Amino acid sequence: MKARKIVLTSGKGGVGKTTATVNIGAALAKRGHRVILVDTDIGLRNLDLVLGLEKRIVFDLVEVIEGRCQVRQALIKDKRFESLAILPAAQTRNKDSITQAQMARLIDELADMADYVLIDCPAGIEGGFRNAIAGADEAIVVTTPEVSAIRDADRVIGKLAERSIPMRLIINRIRPDMVRSGDMLSIDDVCEILSIELLGIIPDDEEIIDTTNRGEPLVLGEGYRLRSIYEKIVRRLEGDLIPFTNLDAPGFFGRLIGALKAG
Amino acid sequence: MLPLRQPFDVAHDDAQTNAAQTSGAPMTLGRAIVITSGKGGVGKTTTTANLGVALAKRGAKVALVDADVGLRNLDILMGLESRVRHHVLDVLEEKVELDEALVRDKHFPNLFLLAAAQSREKDEVDTESMRDLIEELREQFDYVLIDCPAGIEMGFKNAVVGAQEAIVVCTPEVSAVRDVDRVVGLLGNAFTPKLIINRVRPHLVHKGKMLSVEDVNSILRLPLLGVIADEPDVIVSTNKGEPLALRTDTATAKAYHTIAARIAGEDVPAPMVEYKETFIDKLGSLLGGRR
Repeated sequence: MKARKIVLTSGKGGVGKTTATVNIGAALAKRGHRVILVDTDIGLRNLDLVLGLEKRIVFDLVEVIEGRCQVRQALIKDKRFESLAILPAAQTRNKDSITQAQMARLIDELADMADYVLIDCPAGIEGGFRNAIAGADEAIVVTTPEVSAIRDADRVIGKLAERSIPMRLIINRIRPDMVRSGDMLSIDDVCEILSIELLGIIPDDEEIIDTTNRGEPLVLGEGYRLRSIYEKIVRRLEGDLIPFTNLDAPGFFGRLIGALKAG
Repeated sequence: MLPLRQPFDVAHDDAQTNAAQTSGAPMTLGRAIVITSGKGGVGKTTTTANLGVALAKRGAKVALVDADVGLRNLDILMGLESRVRHHVLDVLEEKVELDEALVRDKHFPNLFLLAAAQSREKDEVDTESMRDLIEELREQFDYVLIDCPAGIEMGFKNAVVGAQEAIVVCTPEVSAVRDVDRVVGLLGNAFTPKLIINRVRPHLVHKGKMLSVEDVNSILRLPLLGVIADEPDVIVSTNKGEPLALRTDTATAKAYHTIAARIAGEDVPAPMVEYKETFIDKLGSLLGGRR
């Protein structure tokens, strides 16, 4: 059985591609799958940091492609899950050190060793983007409810469509209070503009900042609000029909603030 | 401890330059400053738009150049997207004159935008022509602010080629710090980049859940231009196409105006963000620290 090869991309940077890759990957591993995360951001790697594995890097993706080491030597197993591994990008090389064909072959080789290969794409639509999508047969487009991010996502969706790669959408960093007050585009607005299938809606939550900086994916921790959101995304990815969480229902604290404001 | 007072080493007075250029004295070239970061989504375009507005408000002639060919956004942030008719590549390929491609701002007659091409690729830009274009802009403008794309590929090289100064934008995240550090290395010794730390949430820093300004700059060790807080009104201003620096009354707007003053050579302290415990914070900790 070959793995599913999924690229996470966005066009615009800083919308949460790496964070989504790590949390979806960890959630899949937790469900018992063998998962390999591939950092294709050569020169600006970060996936290793978000998983807290930066000190364990010996070989990287470019060295594998150049035949300087075996794939198995370059893969770094996660500290928490044996079934989760990353292939780090090279930090001191350029994105044109490798070709699309080489990348496609590498992803194929990885697909023999896992159930899921998640490819973390760099920002932009240059060579790094073309390499990252070269080996993928599915895509997850990550965006935020900002006009600039949506325009960039639209451009990327066009490029993926040219290659007939099926894609689904994650809308990240939604602030329900701002949507309600009309200061932020709603889920419906974003879906209408981009018109691809929705895979997940992730609210903007400060807990993501701290867990990312500490290199501990929140899906592996306890008591995080976003954990169940990611778990639902992963179940949808596996084909389950899971309804979307209604972010409009204010929690206890939201109701309290609402009451204080009204009073 | 960081040096909080770090004006630009080359003092520069807007009014003087203007006078020199209109009186036919030997022409002074404007300053070309690239705004870059490595990592995307840290606020390069927002910074470019706001510093452009703030410098224009001081009376300087300012050109904003969007170097993100294929993924342009500066036009949206300036609210000028429906007025863009030509772009950088049209000028580089000599299809139109530079003056025809420059879009005048809605609010300031001395502020202009040169948009990026949206349906072209970054490797279509010729690096040498880009250098010449920035030089041509420097003859007409006091400031040429170049909005660099994310990453360190061709788009980065073309954005940097014509600049003499660099501002790096970083957020208090380990990944952004690592990317900025890499970009500073790539910029090399020709630049002494100045740092803007963006999207700081003082209450998270206070709780030890976000890197502090000191944490960030203990790694980067760059002269600090200023610190900008993470406020929801940035998202609103992006979507509306109205840079926050059009106003003068909000904390974020004031911070941009102060940074612009520092760029212009004024000896004023770098804007910082302070932690203030709000009523909601107190209530939150009372209820068990839910937020």
